[in-house]
Amino acid sequence: MKRIGPFVLERKLHPSRATVFGISVLSVVVALLVAAPVFAGYGVSPWKAYEAIGRGIFGSWPSFSEVLRRAIPLILCGVGLTLAFRAQFWNIGAEGQLLAGAVAATGVALFLPVPDGLKLPLMFLFGFLAGAIWGLIPALLRVKLGVNDVISTLMLNYVMAYIVEWLVHGPWKGPTMRGFAYTDAFPLSARLSYLPATRVHWLTLVLGVVLAFIVAFVLARTKLGYEIRVVGQNPDAARYAGISFTAVLSLVMIISGGLAGLAGVGEVAGIHWRLRSPSHISMNYGYTAIIVAWLARGSPVAAIFTALLFGLIFAAGDYMKTVLGLPFQITGVFNGLILFFLIGFDLLMFWRVRFAQKEKVWTSQAGS
Amino acid sequence: MDIASWLVSTVSRALAFGVPLLWGTLGEIYAERAGVVNLGVEGMMILGAFTAFAVTQSTGQPGFGLLCAAAIGGIAALVHAFMTVTLRANQYVSGLALSMFGLGLAGLLGRGWEGKPLGNPLPTLTIPGLSKIPVLGAMLFQDQTILTYLGIFLAFLLWLLLFRTRWGVAIRSVGENPGTADALGINVTLVRYLCVVFGGVLAGVGGGYLSVAYRPSWTEGMTAGMGWIVIALTIFASWDPLQAIWGAFFFGALYHLSYRLQTYLSPELLKLMPYLFAIVVLAASGFGTARHRRRAPGALGVPYVRGER
Amino acid sequence: MKRILSVVLAVVALGALAFSAEKIKAGFIYVGPIGDYGWSHAHDVARRIVDEKFDWLETVYVESVPEGEVETYIDQLVRQGCNVIFTTSFGFMDGTLAAAQRYPNVIFAHASGFKRWANMATYMADFYQVYYLNGLMAGALTKTGKIGYVAAFPIPEVKRHINAFTIGVRTVNPNAEVHVRWIYEWFNPAAAKEATEALIAEGCDVFAFTEDSPTVVQVAAEKGLPSFGHYSPMYDFAPDYVVSGQIVHWEKIYEDFLVKIHEGLYTNKNLAHVDYWWLLAQGAVEVGAKPGMVINPKYEEALKAKKVNVPGLGEVSVYDLVFIRLNQMADPGITYDPFQGPVYDRKGQLVVPEGMWLSYDSLITMEWAVAGVVGPWPGEP
Repeated sequence: MKRIGPFVLERKLHPSRATVFGISVLSVVVALLVAAPVFAGYGVSPWKAYEAIGRGIFGSWPSFSEVLRRAIPLILCGVGLTLAFRAQFWNIGAEGQLLAGAVAATGVALFLPVPDGLKLPLMFLFGFLAGAIWGLIPALLRVKLGVNDVISTLMLNYVMAYIVEWLVHGPWKGPTMRGFAYTDAFPLSARLSYLPATRVHWLTLVLGVVLAFIVAFVLARTKLGYEIRVVGQNPDAARYAGISFTAVLSLVMIISGGLAGLAGVGEVAGIHWRLRSPSHISMNYGYTAIIVAWLARGSPVAAIFTALLFGLIFAAGDYMKTVLGLPFQITGVFNGLILFFLIGFDLLMFWRVRFAQKEKVWTSQAGS
Repeated sequence: MDIASWLVSTVSRALAFGVPLLWGTLGEIYAERAGVVNLGVEGMMILGAFTAFAVTQSTGQPGFGLLCAAAIGGIAALVHAFMTVTLRANQYVSGLALSMFGLGLAGLLGRGWEGKPLGNPLPTLTIPGLSKIPVLGAMLFQDQTILTYLGIFLAFLLWLLLFRTRWGVAIRSVGENPGTADALGINVTLVRYLCVVFGGVLAGVGGGYLSVAYRPSWTEGMTAGMGWIVIALTIFASWDPLQAIWGAFFFGALYHLSYRLQTYLSPELLKLMPYLFAIVVLAASGFGTARHRRRAPGALGVPYVRGER
Repeated sequence: MKRILSVVLAVVALGALAFSAEKIKAGFIYVGPIGDYGWSHAHDVARRIVDEKFDWLETVYVESVPEGEVETYIDQLVRQGCNVIFTTSFGFMDGTLAAAQRYPNVIFAHASGFKRWANMATYMADFYQVYYLNGLMAGALTKTGKIGYVAAFPIPEVKRHINAFTIGVRTVNPNAEVHVRWIYEWFNPAAAKEATEALIAEGCDVFAFTEDSPTVVQVAAEKGLPSFGHYSPMYDFAPDYVVSGQIVHWEKIYEDFLVKIHEGLYTNKNLAHVDYWWLLAQGAVEVGAKPGMVINPKYEEALKAKKVNVPGLGEVSVYDLVFIRLNQMADPGITYDPFQGPVYDRKGQLVVPEGMWLSYDSLITMEWAVAGVVGPWPGEP
């Protein structure tokens, strides 16, 4: 407790949802104010810029749909990461797991002779499995050989990126692409349909939202969820309770990697319709999802909303580049600022400010 | 090709390519030893790279350019320290934010500086006498800048400081158990601030090396992911400055060899070799007895609040 | 019925209006940052040139656009009122085609692709002739007989350039080898540097490359070795060591295309067969260390000293040969082509028969490696 004049600062352990939301909004607003001079520096009135962005994004359904579309991979990866972070497993590898899913989906779409109706279900299934395997490797490496998870997941991202590069330059190079490093386009049966007048592949979006709730349920209401929380919060207690780290971390990473794999399926089946250079398949979605999961404070359902926030930031960045003609780097500066303020204001959530007059010491003094 | 030529080119290139990695890793080791993860290395390096280039281009003094790069790296790290130590914000998110911010800002400021050769790059040294030694001379004492030797020297110095002095004990105890350190009268906040800022200073120099020595010019995004490799190398080196030396140069050697060996192995597979190798080495060492030494500092990533735990 | 008709008429009128209008607003979509000093940079330099030249032209650009996102950006540019849109990466092809079908009143032009539509043309400024000329010089300058080539991606465009370069080298120096290293990136200075160092360690002493930064030039110069600039003028990075190079002039294509739209020659109805494949003869590419300097004067003497016996020309100096070939290819009635038969690939197969030239299709789908190329060659038939 701290006294500042007539106020008392109290520490709270569990801020209410309203507080969290309110302070998050406040921090974004402050970030936008701080960033205003950047616009002015490029000869654009900050107020007009924000107004233009707001109108541009919320003004029409097709523009707003871009927010949803960019949020899809972030929801799937973000939900998976909340689970991993709950178990204190630092999965920096969603990017690689996403690419693994994209590779598996491409394999099914182009090379697996199955009836048209089975194409998409199998793509999602194999995409999940591929992501899960790519996630399971670092889990086993950590449990069995003590390999640090940050390093193994990070390195596996690079490894998968070069595998994709190898595939599109080598065995999977499309015969119709005149030697360029792309696979052929997917058949129609392997493409996801869009919401009207948008590029929102709705099936993946629905999948993401549903899975967020399922993961939240597993985490809160099942034995596995309990074990995950114990492993994360108190490894010693978990050991005494006889919880198998191998089993728990393996399952966590199978789900976490699998969800990222699904995101990869969504990207190739919904947006690209082919496999191409890895940096163009994922716009760092796997890395951004780390922030998505953190801002969601480990809650899978909250990750839906933090993913939408980043969908909005991405869409706003696109808008600044085209309509306002600002250099693309400004998006990075902006994202950085918003993030700094979001987490900087974090502390506020755990403090409550109230008048101190109820307290005896103060009333006696105030009475004099 | 004879063995001597292979040795010379591999070692000499490993040193040159490993320098920015070594400086960055040494800095990150200190930050993490004090309990603060800084994922902003990429951002601090690119800010350092731009600053060093711009200052050297304007003043003709590469040494001064590197000093400014160090200062900018330190200032960037100060932001991270303020966020994570004072405001106790999440270290991972703050670091990622710093990387985004740094890449963006350096890119913004750097517009218009591209495509200009640097008139006065940091000179490469030919060490009199030593460079005449057959094989070894060409391997170690030619074509390197002062930063190669300074980096290695620094690694030894930082190792001594960390493991053989009271300051080092203070830093390590702050990273291991800040509560105990606090009780012993160590100023946890100050130690963390100093270590994080020092980490930024070294990352700034590492970035500056890229633009005034390794490839004397400025290009958007020229760090190309080196900051992330630094994060990995810090763990790879078990938070030990001496191991950082061989980690950085080992990675440099693999990177160089991935081009040298293209005649014999598929280039795509060679490209993923350095990354795969890092995992394999760690996994292999997991079989041995050294496993307990690989443990991260106990309070890594955890903000310190007096009176809790 | 009347209302429907009037709507239809209005739409038609609007469509017509878009192109009879005096003003053209052209949007440029780049795949990289304009600061890359390579591909995207060159397109932007060209954009600024045409923007300044014509007062009826307004231009906007978007940089660093991921390939899968091109449609989103086209949507925004159209909403902003662009009536001509250039997309400057092969990966934008399908997105541009889809957009062309969605916006029949907007004119599109796509660089380096092969799909066209009534309102979508394609264009490319290609370097293979220039690489051949550089190869002639490189062949004369190498002392070790090994020339290094740092290459971006093993795709037909790059393979064509390496082959043309190697044919030039072997014309002058029949036993010389061109050693190739792939970096799998359009832009990565560190990779380009280490690849160059690897080639130096293997004894290469002259360098050419395909990468969007001046790295190879700088590294070679540090070791006192000559090299050839790529894409942008790189003379300034090593005035003593840049022998010559490839320089692009996208503005020639942009100017021609936009003027023809302005004059009403090109419309949103007649582009299905408009494909610019512009080379030396059209001025879209230039050979030189910097504009106007075909050969760095420092190397003139060495090139004049080296004599070769060329069928049909007798004994000439390499210096003269470069200019003879340059004139033959820069002349509108092109009388020479680097891929003039007989050409053998490195496995000994005859790929271009005696007296034949390669067709456009064979050029842009080239996968084989010509004799003299050493090193890995992914996708070799």
